[in-house]
Amino acid sequence: MADDKDVLRDVWFGRIPTCFTLYQDEITEREAEPFYLLLPRVSYLTLVTDKVKKHFHKVMRQEDLEEMWFEYEGTPLKWHYPIGVLFDLHASNTALPWNITVHFKDFPERDLLHCPSNSVIEAHFMSSIKEADALKHKGQVVNEMQKKDHKQLWMGLQNDKFDQFWAMNRKLMEYPTEEGGFRYIPFRIYQTMSDRPFIQKLFRPVSSEGHAHTLGDLLKEVFPAAIPQDDEQKKYLIVIHGIEPLLETPVQWLSEHLSHPDNFLHISIIPAPSD
Amino acid sequence: MLGTRVMSGARCRTECWWKRHIAEQLKQRDRVQRQAFEEIIHQYNRLLEKSDLQAVLSERLQPDKSDLQNRHDLSPGADEELTELHKKRGELAQNVIELNNQMQQKDKEIQTNEAKMLQYQQRISELEAECRELRNSLQDLERANQTLKDEYDALQITFSALEEKLRRTTEDNQELVSRWMAEKAQEANRLNAENEKDTRRRQAKLQKDLAEAAKEPLPLDPDDDIEVLSEDASDGAGQADVSPSRTPGRTPSKRVSQPPSGLLDSISSIFGRRSVNSFSGLTDGAETHTGACAEVRVPSTALHTFDAHDGEVNAVCFSPGSRLLATGGMDRRVKLWEVVSGRCEHKGSLTGSNAGITSIEFDSAGSYLLAASNDFASRIWTVDDFRLRHTLTGHSGKVLSARFLLDNARIVSGSYDRTLKLWDLRSKVCMKTVFAGSSCNDIVCTEQCVMSGHFDKKVRFWDIRSESIVRELELLGRVTSLDLNHDRTELLTCSRDDLVKIIDLRSNAVRQSFSAQGFKCGSDWTRVTFSPDGCYVAAGSAEGTLFVWNVLTGKLERTLDKHHSSAINAVSWSPSGAHVVSVEKGSKAVLWSDM
Repeated sequence: MADDKDVLRDVWFGRIPTCFTLYQDEITEREAEPFYLLLPRVSYLTLVTDKVKKHFHKVMRQEDLEEMWFEYEGTPLKWHYPIGVLFDLHASNTALPWNITVHFKDFPERDLLHCPSNSVIEAHFMSSIKEADALKHKGQVVNEMQKKDHKQLWMGLQNDKFDQFWAMNRKLMEYPTEEGGFRYIPFRIYQTMSDRPFIQKLFRPVSSEGHAHTLGDLLKEVFPAAIPQDDEQKKYLIVIHGIEPLLETPVQWLSEHLSHPDNFLHISIIPAPSD
Repeated sequence: MLGTRVMSGARCRTECWWKRHIAEQLKQRDRVQRQAFEEIIHQYNRLLEKSDLQAVLSERLQPDKSDLQNRHDLSPGADEELTELHKKRGELAQNVIELNNQMQQKDKEIQTNEAKMLQYQQRISELEAECRELRNSLQDLERANQTLKDEYDALQITFSALEEKLRRTTEDNQELVSRWMAEKAQEANRLNAENEKDTRRRQAKLQKDLAEAAKEPLPLDPDDDIEVLSEDASDGAGQADVSPSRTPGRTPSKRVSQPPSGLLDSISSIFGRRSVNSFSGLTDGAETHTGACAEVRVPSTALHTFDAHDGEVNAVCFSPGSRLLATGGMDRRVKLWEVVSGRCEHKGSLTGSNAGITSIEFDSAGSYLLAASNDFASRIWTVDDFRLRHTLTGHSGKVLSARFLLDNARIVSGSYDRTLKLWDLRSKVCMKTVFAGSSCNDIVCTEQCVMSGHFDKKVRFWDIRSESIVRELELLGRVTSLDLNHDRTELLTCSRDDLVKIIDLRSNAVRQSFSAQGFKCGSDWTRVTFSPDGCYVAAGSAEGTLFVWNVLTGKLERTLDKHHSSAINAVSWSPSGAHVVSVEKGSKAVLWSDM
């Protein structure tokens, strides 16, 4: 289990080097220097970009300041997806660091949600946890928790406190041993080229014969196209936390160890780079 | 079997493999994405901060620099410095002038202050002098005061010494008086004893003489003998020597016939007179009551008409010696008059009452005078010096009548407040209060009984000791006046039904009733009187006529008018029987006599 704990740590402390640049049409009083930052993969954009905001505010006229939003190569970045998902989905094939453009004007109302404060992020985060627990334990565990336990989960994420978060999150990862896993695996499958934001279905970690389902089984059922046919060129990359796990990996283990803090297993399916 | 074992081993290996794969992948990812950039980004942020700080500092330094430059520009110009210095010198000169001015001003101020100080010092010295003067005068006054105090103390001491002396002298005097009285008593006793001895001696001698006379019989005329004897007895014992020596011899023979009885009478009369003489010798000093044996003369003329008081005269009373007359009026005074040769001469006034006098009485010795007053009090004066002795207060209404009891030590007063009060003169307190039930107009007293005449037409008889009503007698009108005859056996009443009545106190019944044409009782306090011997009754009428009735005949004896102009309030008959005084509602009093 020592390896499993290391895995959890690595997942938690995963960072993405990012360079924030002000959109060139923004009116500044002085030249705006780019701002470099290591973004935690498991967190949310608006939760970790206070420094960015402050940095650009210095060179902006006060009257021009509106809600800040981010964009990568023309794609507005949804703050309610974990940062790692956004990076894997949109920028995994580009050279580091990740260049994000910062906007203070022309908020893309159609593509993005407003995020006036951290309490909105908290509400989104908690609702995700509750949804995941509903799938895993019919919501029993999260409902038995007290308000302060919920707060502990959130504060652990907000302040990047691994031990604080996992002391509480451990309970959410428990399951009755005789069943061999959760009721259903909370997962979301993201694609770059799709109208649907993500795929989410009911999927049991254990088959009716008692075998543990693997990632391959999951994809076979939910997204068969992602599995390369016999001897065919690999068309898609299955990426979780910036890595490609083997298809033989059991989904129960994945759900326990590679889930984001919101308890969902976010799987990005991106087209394989054509050399 | 083998196959399954290989399978399970493979699974185990694959399991480890995919886990290891993930771990390795994660490490790889971190190497590429994190560790490669961590340091760079950290350094970059530090540089960014530094540059920001520098920008801020440079902004702040900007104004300092410009200042520094300006200074460098000015310093080379020596001319400007010179002018600057000149300017400064000018300013300093200006300053010197100003300061000089200020100095002068201050000097002036100092001068004025000094002048003021001088003034104040003068004033202080003046005030000090004044203060000294005042202190001196105060000392003088204190000394004078001390002197006066000393003198006062000395006088006080002298006074107390004198007082002590006076007290001692008074004690001595009293002692002497008592000794004198004792000696006088002894002397009287001696005199009595001597008299008795003398009498006994005479009697013995007489008996002896009679016995001798009886031995030698004489042929003498018995009538002559008796005459001689009686003359002898009255004239003196000396001459009796001869004649008695003859009489006794004949007595036994005469005892059967009448002459001896006359002899015995004369003898007893001798003894009787002697005893009377000795008694009168003892009571020489006191004023004696002539009383019933006085010679009463019914008045016929007005000897003297005079203004007794300012306003109404309510009461009149003769002193027991008949020499003094007291009248009381609404002018709050009691006046004393001396009846001298048919005239009343004013002797003095007794003052002290705060309202009109309603009743007057002398005590039996004639040395005190009791008057009742409308100011709710009764008062007692001494007649000799006209001084007020006692004021008896306690009634809550006008006192209408006040009388001495026969022992002269107690007083009964009757008041409009419907009570009677008994006062003790020794302790000057009210001993008893009796609720009579009606306003009391007049009172008279016998030894045990007090009689009061009331507004409710009743005469009440009280026992002094039991303070209860012994009996009552109802008349037909309000009782205005009561009087007793000398024997205290008959009570004279006057009531508003215009009848004057005599009540026999023994039978407790009306014995006689007097009325007359024109007799009308003038007020509720009209006082009527017996003559001293009780043979006449005098009463004044509302028209000012004085009526005198004869008690024996029951007829009107005399009416005297034309001297009063208003209702007669009171009448008093002198104890000597010679004078009658009537007082009226006006201010007049009239002295009547038969001359």
